Amino acid sequence: MQDVPLSWYLGLGLFMFSTGVVGVVIRRNPVVVFMCIELMLNAVNLTFLAFARYMPAVLDAGESARSAWMAGQMMVIFVMAVAAAEVAVGLGIIMAIYRLRNEIDLDEMSALRG
Amino acid sequence: MNGNPFDLIWYVLGLPLAGFLVQALFGGAVIRALGPAAGRRVMGALAVLPIVAAFGLGVSLVYNLIQLDPSSRNQVVTLFDWIRIPSLWVPFELRVDPLSMTMVLIITGVGALIHLYATGYMAEESDYARFFTYLNLFIAFMLILVLGNNLLMLFIGWEGVGLCSYLLIGFWYKDLANSRAGNKAFIVNRIGDVGLVIAMFLLVSLIASQGPSFVFSEGRFLSYDVLLSQSAINLYVANPLLTTVIALCLFVGACGKSAQFPLYLWLPDAMAGPTPVSALIHAATMVTAGVFLLNRLHPIFEASPVAGAVVAMIGAFTAAFAALIAFGQTDIKKVLAYSTVSQLGFMFIACGAGAYWAGMFHVTTHAFFKALLFLGAGAVIHAMAHEQDMRRYGKLLKYLPITGATMLVGWVAIAGVPPFAGFWSKEAILGAGLGNHYAEAANQNWGMVAGWIGLGVAALTAMYMTRLTWLTFFGPKEQWREIPLVDNGHGHDHAHAAHHDHAGHGGHAHEDHGPDEHNFFYTDAEVAARAEVPAHHHELDQTHTPHEVPISMWFPLVVLAILSLGGGYVLYNGHLFEHWLYPDGLALLSKEAVEGHPAGIPLLQLSIGAALLGIIAGLAVYWRGLPAKEGWDLSRWSPFRRAAANQFGYDRAMVEAGVDGGGFLANFAWKGIDVLFIDGIVNGLAAAAARLGGLLRTFQTGYVRSYALVTLVGVVALLGYLLIVAQRAGAMP
Repeated sequence: MQDVPLSWYLGLGLFMFSTGVVGVVIRRNPVVVFMCIELMLNAVNLTFLAFARYMPAVLDAGESARSAWMAGQMMVIFVMAVAAAEVAVGLGIIMAIYRLRNEIDLDEMSALRG
Repeated sequence: MNGNPFDLIWYVLGLPLAGFLVQALFGGAVIRALGPAAGRRVMGALAVLPIVAAFGLGVSLVYNLIQLDPSSRNQVVTLFDWIRIPSLWVPFELRVDPLSMTMVLIITGVGALIHLYATGYMAEESDYARFFTYLNLFIAFMLILVLGNNLLMLFIGWEGVGLCSYLLIGFWYKDLANSRAGNKAFIVNRIGDVGLVIAMFLLVSLIASQGPSFVFSEGRFLSYDVLLSQSAINLYVANPLLTTVIALCLFVGACGKSAQFPLYLWLPDAMAGPTPVSALIHAATMVTAGVFLLNRLHPIFEASPVAGAVVAMIGAFTAAFAALIAFGQTDIKKVLAYSTVSQLGFMFIACGAGAYWAGMFHVTTHAFFKALLFLGAGAVIHAMAHEQDMRRYGKLLKYLPITGATMLVGWVAIAGVPPFAGFWSKEAILGAGLGNHYAEAANQNWGMVAGWIGLGVAALTAMYMTRLTWLTFFGPKEQWREIPLVDNGHGHDHAHAAHHDHAGHGGHAHEDHGPDEHNFFYTDAEVAARAEVPAHHHELDQTHTPHEVPISMWFPLVVLAILSLGGGYVLYNGHLFEHWLYPDGLALLSKEAVEGHPAGIPLLQLSIGAALLGIIAGLAVYWRGLPAKEGWDLSRWSPFRRAAANQFGYDRAMVEAGVDGGGFLANFAWKGIDVLFIDGIVNGLAAAAARLGGLLRTFQTGYVRSYALVTLVGVVALLGYLLIVAQRAGAMP
């Protein structure tokens, strides 16, 4: 357990999250944007798990903290379920837009501009 | 309230109202069903009968009232609550007292005679039922005005008679000039009404400031028994400034309705209406409503000598001004209209000088002789093929013996020759003006000044009435014989051309003829239909022979002549009228202050002298008929007479100031205030919002990623802020 320190997990999460953010901001393909969003979600998941594992209470205290320890892991399951649903809806929307306009370039999707 | 004999007063009010409804709902149908002649006779009778019955009831009520003790001669009869909200209670209540019953007798008595006359005068009128609808409605409103026991009911009547006046002035509305005259009367009266309304507000605020329990009023702030109670009178005396303002506002209202100086100018134009209307509304009843108002609320005026002085001086000025204008008029009805304005001025002299009873006395006698003169003038006009210009008359006494004789009675009555009615009332007014010491302001007894002016005007009155009488009934020749006979096809055009060429009628040329013949406002179908109706009367030309009017028209003349002859003496004798109206004297003024007989001034001789002087001067000028200086050639008129014919430019100046000045004000309000200021603010705000929006719009690119970038920047900034805060708080190492 002592081989991988917490900061490494956090560093990897930060890298994944930044990659995801940059991808969301600069890419024009909505599928790639979705992948980047997934990346960001997974970066968050990773940090959840890392914190859950290294939680000081878990390290020091006994069985009474087991439920708090489970909370971080449960949140990851929850995020994954929501992400799956989000992808299903999002891909559906992308398909609908493609059928409507025959293209999915995000820069052309600016009908909201005032 | 059962068994109270004064409950009958509701029938006095209800009968004309019922007559109005009958005329309005069934008049046209009856005339159509029975044919013009019989139908008009039936509807005419139905119009006259309610007024006669109301007069009979009025007489019986006066008889009941006389039986009562003088101090209890103010019976209030309540029908229902009109307005009842917390702190304001206005019942629909009628007041039976000597003042209101005097007016009721004048309105129904003279009104019945004039209704009777009108059945003859309007016999050829196609809109017969409409005329009597308005006339009966007028009587009903006038009765509400005088009988109501609070100022709001007076106001209902006040506006109602104004409405009827408007409708009747513009009765022949197809002639645009008549409609304009009606509008003018209505609009000028609005100015006075504003004064009356302001006075009511001030009265309510004055009385309401004393709390709801003030003299058992329970919110009946505008009822006369509250306004005239001793506590209210003490209140007027305690607030002299506010009382003066209230009195002056009331007088503004009276000025509008009673055609006093700044606002008189609607009355001469009101002669556009049928002559019975001029007699009833614009001489005998409605225009005296202002005098009635001053009498009704006399304690307010008594408490303010300044207001009294203003009333007396306005009255005196109006009397003199209108009398001078009358000299420049050639239209017989216009002369009578200005003489009405002038006589109303006399009534206000009396009220201003504190002799309220004398004002009402003159209202009464004036109703007799002025109605007589107007009806006589109507008979003359009727006999002269609707020609109203006195320069076409002359030697008519031979053709119209009854009309002529009765009008001679009216002439001497208004001139103030004893023992005719006008002498007694004018004498009472002048005595009050010269003898009283009430209307004093700035160390000057204005009542006395007004009295002296009135004396001079009395002489002028006698003179211009002599002019009217002589040009109409006497003189060396029958002037209309000089109108050449022309063939029928052009006869009409000629008459009108002559009329317009010589339009010396003070600005507007109204003719009291029937429906307009100008082919101006009729559809082609109407014109074609009229050509088939045989002409009722031919044009006035040298072949014309005047005929005496029918009995329905001369009977009222005779009755009014008898009243003009003896009415004044009967009422004046032994202070009958004064004690009837004011049995206990006035509320505030002592007997000494309103002593009616000036010491050291031979009033009797002076007033008789003034009357005789005026008559003699008139005879001297007009004995030989129309002087060349007053003929058709206006350029030969003296400058004074030309100026008088144009009302010394006052009417034109007022109308121009009102219309052009109003136009200028409206333009300024439009372009200066509305467009520049109001619209500037509103549009400026909108434009600023639009510019701000345009600025913000540039941030809305529509690109998802730019929104994501903004969100990112925001999140980073928020996190950074939290970091700094946490560090400050020492939570972080």
